Amino acid sequence: MWKTEATGVPHVEPAVRQCLPPCQIKCPINEDIQRTNVLISLLPDDPDLAKEGILQISDYLYDKNPFFNICGYICGLCELECNYLKKGGAIKRRLLKRFLSDVYTEHLRELGEFRTVKQKEKVAVIGGGPGGLMCAYHLGKKGYDVTIIEASDRLGGALWLVPDYRLPKDVLQTTVESLVRIAGIGVRYNNKLGAGGLTLERLKEEGFKAAFLATGLPYARVLTFERQSLEGQDLAGVMYGHTYLYEVSHNNIAADYFNGKRVIVTGGGNVAFDVARSARRQGGDVTVVALEREDKDHRDGIPADEEEVQGAWEEGIRIVYSRGVRKIIGQSGRFKGINCPTCVSVFDTEGFNPRFDCSDCMDLEGDVLIITVGQAPDRSMLQKEGLLDGQGRLDVDHLTLQSRSEPWVFVGGDVRRVGFMVEAMGEGLVVAESIDRYLRGVDMREGRRRDYEAYQIPLRRDYKREPRVPWMPPEDRMHFRIFERGFTLKEAIAEAGRCVTCGPCLSCKACVSIGFQKSLSPVEVDVTRCSGCGLCVYVCNYYSAHLVSSGAKIVSETDMFRCKSCGMCVAACPSQARTMVDDGTAERIAAVYSSLT
Amino acid sequence: MSDYEPKVVCFSCKFGWGYLTDEDKLSSKIDNWVPLICTGKIDATHVFDAFSAGADGVLVLGCPEGDCHYQDGNYEAKKRVYLIRRLLESVGIEKERVRIELSTDPKGESIPKLVAQMKKELAKLGPAKKDPVEKSKPNKAMKAVGGKQDG
Repeated sequence: MWKTEATGVPHVEPAVRQCLPPCQIKCPINEDIQRTNVLISLLPDDPDLAKEGILQISDYLYDKNPFFNICGYICGLCELECNYLKKGGAIKRRLLKRFLSDVYTEHLRELGEFRTVKQKEKVAVIGGGPGGLMCAYHLGKKGYDVTIIEASDRLGGALWLVPDYRLPKDVLQTTVESLVRIAGIGVRYNNKLGAGGLTLERLKEEGFKAAFLATGLPYARVLTFERQSLEGQDLAGVMYGHTYLYEVSHNNIAADYFNGKRVIVTGGGNVAFDVARSARRQGGDVTVVALEREDKDHRDGIPADEEEVQGAWEEGIRIVYSRGVRKIIGQSGRFKGINCPTCVSVFDTEGFNPRFDCSDCMDLEGDVLIITVGQAPDRSMLQKEGLLDGQGRLDVDHLTLQSRSEPWVFVGGDVRRVGFMVEAMGEGLVVAESIDRYLRGVDMREGRRRDYEAYQIPLRRDYKREPRVPWMPPEDRMHFRIFERGFTLKEAIAEAGRCVTCGPCLSCKACVSIGFQKSLSPVEVDVTRCSGCGLCVYVCNYYSAHLVSSGAKIVSETDMFRCKSCGMCVAACPSQARTMVDDGTAERIAAVYSSLT
Repeated sequence: MSDYEPKVVCFSCKFGWGYLTDEDKLSSKIDNWVPLICTGKIDATHVFDAFSAGADGVLVLGCPEGDCHYQDGNYEAKKRVYLIRRLLESVGIEKERVRIELSTDPKGESIPKLVAQMKKELAKLGPAKKDPVEKSKPNKAMKAVGGKQDG
């Protein structure tokens, strides 16, 4: 599978070239999507019989990704790169994982602890969100003595802010509790770095040999216009989405809190939509005001997922695109409305830099304004700990995530760059590897840069359309329970079977793992027999067989990275030039035929 | 003729047939069984050789249409069986002696039944004509269906 190629560029590690299906490349933790899709497609259709297989597949996923059952509810990043996207709809991998999750989450409580003895160094993980937990899990598995230093009284970080109708709290609770138990991780709750005298230095004195700082973005970002903070954010009726979701997650807000109220939500990200849809469920008449455009393919397209926008629209939430907020209007200390100019562009070559046309303004009246324009890190803590550079940016090596000023400290997750849950998990995985290398005193960089090569979709006669995902009708889902029905066993088998397994066999080997084949048999071409007719090229669905010049003649060749060992080219070859090495078929046939006489 | 039992060679795809049952256990219930990774792998010589070796019929069990793990292997097999049947007829072997069924049975319980059913139908035809291939020079025709020639 591996091919090393030097890029020849100074100061850049030689990249390891890896061929994977596009979904696995998109996934920041490169989950074994193809393999597990194949295995799901081969489950028995009897739920009782299928359970053993479901647990086996889940155990396999869990070993690398202890969050997979949460991903099954809220992460579908891989689907964005699925080759099937333009051929009938991406394979619904998220729902396939949710299908596993719905069986596995209960089972998690019974799963045994790692048997590794914790005899390696003490490592502190600061922040118990997805990034920190992922790192702690993998270091725990390797035998490090890991302690999570958590500022709040619960693990899971920003995952708690995902509303229940998208991620049930019991799934989250079970997942994080099981994770620390299974990996044998210590947790100190209500310990905030920078408060109560807790500093990195003190952790060092306590004997921690490495630390992972994954403190996320604990503060809501304030609303600005042309780089100036807007006045009126202290009016009654104005709040921040981050705070609102926090209170919702603690059940501190009554179910009918917004009844009869006009709620305006500013922001166009997934969090803004979580806020809008939660407020709608609490009775509000909700309008989302976003800087971005409706067209997601545009550079200034709305960043929220299509499903979120669609769901909000169905639930009767109005969405006003391409509008900013120039003024927050108040009356007698209470919020009254906002003044919104047209946003003509959001991003320029420098990045986020919105421009407005103030000659086209509209006033929007409301009773409540929920500002959801992003979150911010604890900058003063980062400053005090000396982790920022002269420009006030985190001074971190991008490959190893090691701090350049404090080599024993590693930084990752949202605090470094805001992203999806799985991106933070990916950084947790990177840091687990970095800390292990750091403490073992080996090279921090060797072999870690990857150049991925994706495969195109195989040829087939017909591509199937994606199944419809059943959502409860909007009038029946004005509550915080899950409104999306998960796959039944039959649906999961069918959807997993729709996956065309575009990736190479070498990174999958599902068929080998279940004994369909002893190994992946290479196809050999006898060039003395090959006439270069090209029938093999015609019959191969994977662009593996191709013709090349060899001396005076043209012969066929097989790209083993693309070959699936299906044998179709062997059967199609009219001159017996192609053979499959060691696949046992010829022997089996010979044995059967000799018994006929 | 009453105790004559036709010999049927059965090729089946592992992705569609019998994968939930231990292969050795199924083998004991199915005579002359060749499970394959894909029916697209079966070439014409496999079928002709079966008749030369003494088979009275060949049964191919592929995945349902549109469900091939290797995209279109079952379709390739179906196409090939159609051509093989025509070719067999031209050399005097009844086309009923080669059948393909595109369906699925993960437990494989129906495989012995399908083989038995085919045997029953073949019993009416009697034993297959032996070595008609040699007399009829089928090489050209075999080439047309993707079969192999010697040398």
